[in-house]
Amino acid sequence: MARPRVRRSAAAVLGALAGLAFAVPLLWAVTSSLRENEAMFRYISEPSWRTLLPSDVTLANYAALVTGDFGRAILNSIVVALATVVLGLVISAAAAFGLAAVRFRGQGVLFGLVVLSFLIPFDAIAIPLATLFRDWSLQNTYAGLILPGLGHGLAIFLLRQFFLAIPAELVEAARIDGLGWFGVFARIYLPLSRPALVGAGMTLFIFQWQAYVWPLLIGTDTAHQLGPIALANMRGQFTIDYGQLFAGSVVLTVIPLIVIMRYQRHFTQSISTTGLK
Amino acid sequence: MRKHRRRTALTAAALLAGVVTALSACGSSGGSAPGTPGASGPATGTLRFVGPEEPKTFEPVIAGFEAENPGIQVEYTQVPFDQLNNVLQQRLAAKDSSIDVYTVDQPRLSALAARGFLVDLSDLREKVRQAVVPGQYEVNVFRDKMWAVPIWTSDQFLFYNAALLKKAGVTPPSRDPAQRWTWEQVAEAGKKAQEKAGAQWAVIPEQIEQFYQLQSLAESAGGGPGITGPDMLTPAITTDGWIKAMTWYHDLFANKLAPRGVGSFQTSPLFSEGKVAFFVGGPWDVGVFGAVKDLDWGIAPHPYFAGGKQVTPTGSWSWGINPASTQQAMARKFLEYASLDPEGNLLTTKNTTIIPSNKAAFDTYLPTLDALAGDKSKGVGEILTYDAGNTAVARPTSVGYIQFEEIMTKAFADIRNGADPRARLEKATGEIKTAWAQLR
Repeated sequence: MARPRVRRSAAAVLGALAGLAFAVPLLWAVTSSLRENEAMFRYISEPSWRTLLPSDVTLANYAALVTGDFGRAILNSIVVALATVVLGLVISAAAAFGLAAVRFRGQGVLFGLVVLSFLIPFDAIAIPLATLFRDWSLQNTYAGLILPGLGHGLAIFLLRQFFLAIPAELVEAARIDGLGWFGVFARIYLPLSRPALVGAGMTLFIFQWQAYVWPLLIGTDTAHQLGPIALANMRGQFTIDYGQLFAGSVVLTVIPLIVIMRYQRHFTQSISTTGLK
Repeated sequence: MRKHRRRTALTAAALLAGVVTALSACGSSGGSAPGTPGASGPATGTLRFVGPEEPKTFEPVIAGFEAENPGIQVEYTQVPFDQLNNVLQQRLAAKDSSIDVYTVDQPRLSALAARGFLVDLSDLREKVRQAVVPGQYEVNVFRDKMWAVPIWTSDQFLFYNAALLKKAGVTPPSRDPAQRWTWEQVAEAGKKAQEKAGAQWAVIPEQIEQFYQLQSLAESAGGGPGITGPDMLTPAITTDGWIKAMTWYHDLFANKLAPRGVGSFQTSPLFSEGKVAFFVGGPWDVGVFGAVKDLDWGIAPHPYFAGGKQVTPTGSWSWGINPASTQQAMARKFLEYASLDPEGNLLTTKNTTIIPSNKAAFDTYLPTLDALAGDKSKGVGEILTYDAGNTAVARPTSVGYIQFEEIMTKAFADIRNGADPRARLEKATGEIKTAWAQLR
């Protein structure tokens, strides 16, 4: 009786330690964002409880973020990410539906291409793609920022696997009752696939939220700057405003965190049911 | 998550042509209208200017220029410092006409010019030669042509924590350039401050792993600039001077006089905290340390090795014109205002502490810098003037400088972390030779 309990306690302690190891740097970043610049590194070389808990809390760093270019950049990031999720889901779901529900010649090859597409790192094609986009006058436009995020191979793959699990009899019955292909897609597949749509949507969201190389190449003016670029711009050439840098990092982390917390149940569900028949 | 493919993106692009049109309307297009590069272009319009500084740095010079030139607006775009060179390279190589003027890191000028990324400004060379402080004309010349105009220059000083030195019973270094301290003196006094006054670190070079700062160590020890040969494509970093300088640098960290694990430009907060006896930093630090409450500090000339040459780092940024720009006439006007006009050049230093390259602006600026931190910064102007005329040595001019600097930064980092200086410099020599093979 005692042995499993000891083992369980040991596992719990190990788990807690691992959790702490991940939490400490984040906690330090949050604490530092609430500090004045002068006190930023005061408690690093001689660690004490003050290293991780702020003693004199100030919101000045966050206030400075709002007044600077960062606020605008965060709004831009949200607009770009949301537009990508909405438009990207429409495209990915339609493609996945075609690959899962409709039979046509060359389907296997096409699906192979989709799988291949997300195995190639986007950064590898970013530079030639940026040259094309520039030729099309898409630099410094929201369209230029959004377009590369729309057709996402992984999102199509996730949705297609989920769609395969929908019984063919259901589709046949609907077709016999006179429902067209669009009706089958919109009234049967989409409502049944909420978890997979959430999973694919999060994939698209995170792709855009983390984008760095692409916006640097295509959207650098202040009006179209995205959050990660604005954060990097805080690192001046001669001096670094650490307070604002930490505050900016916290904001950039908290937003996807909220999205993930809100939808994590669906996300795990979509992964665990993907491919079930 | 960052996996993707051009084909998919292109398909998406085709599918969403309508959406594109609608969305494009939301943003102002950069407008790369096809034109003839090299043509002088229109007399009015919007100039696009790219650099790594915060927008507020250039607000005064842009406002000044716009006031003098009605009908011309300047739109500034900031690119993060660490990515500036890569982004510029990509956009300039693609003949991106949405950049008219861009900032040029002076040691990288020759590489940019050799690749055809800069407009030849040789017709301005006489004007520039007469208008700027010593050394700032030459850094813009490559293969006998002038490719950019100088905006800023720089120098390095020895900052000291007066309270720590007093506690340790050390007389602080003099401000007089004739009584410049040696590195040996600095290390010894710093060690004393560690032992007697509780200083955490004896001496920290601000750009702790950067060639800009460390070249002067090797030059002072007689090691030369690190690059030699008629085409400046032969590495020379294993000379006795380089080995001596790098051994001293290695020992600085091995003997715990300076910290490992802190990056370049992350070092000044340590001095601000009052934990460092000596700090080797730039003019920008005068403003930074001046703003710190309760920090008792002073300033002295940059040190040199006993028996060696007195050498100080210099160089900063120039501005150049993109050959693909369709607005070169306006761009040229902007460059002349920011570099040759003392008033314009001075305005580039209004919101940041940096030294203007223009001679007249330099002279006007010195009293401002002297008074920036009250008594603490007094005498900076005199040091600057002396260094500019006597000890300043720029980074070597070579088409291979970009690769050279990147390899050297890694070598410095390894030596700092304990690698044997000679062996590591020999390894770096091999790496540089390989990287340069394609440039020859």
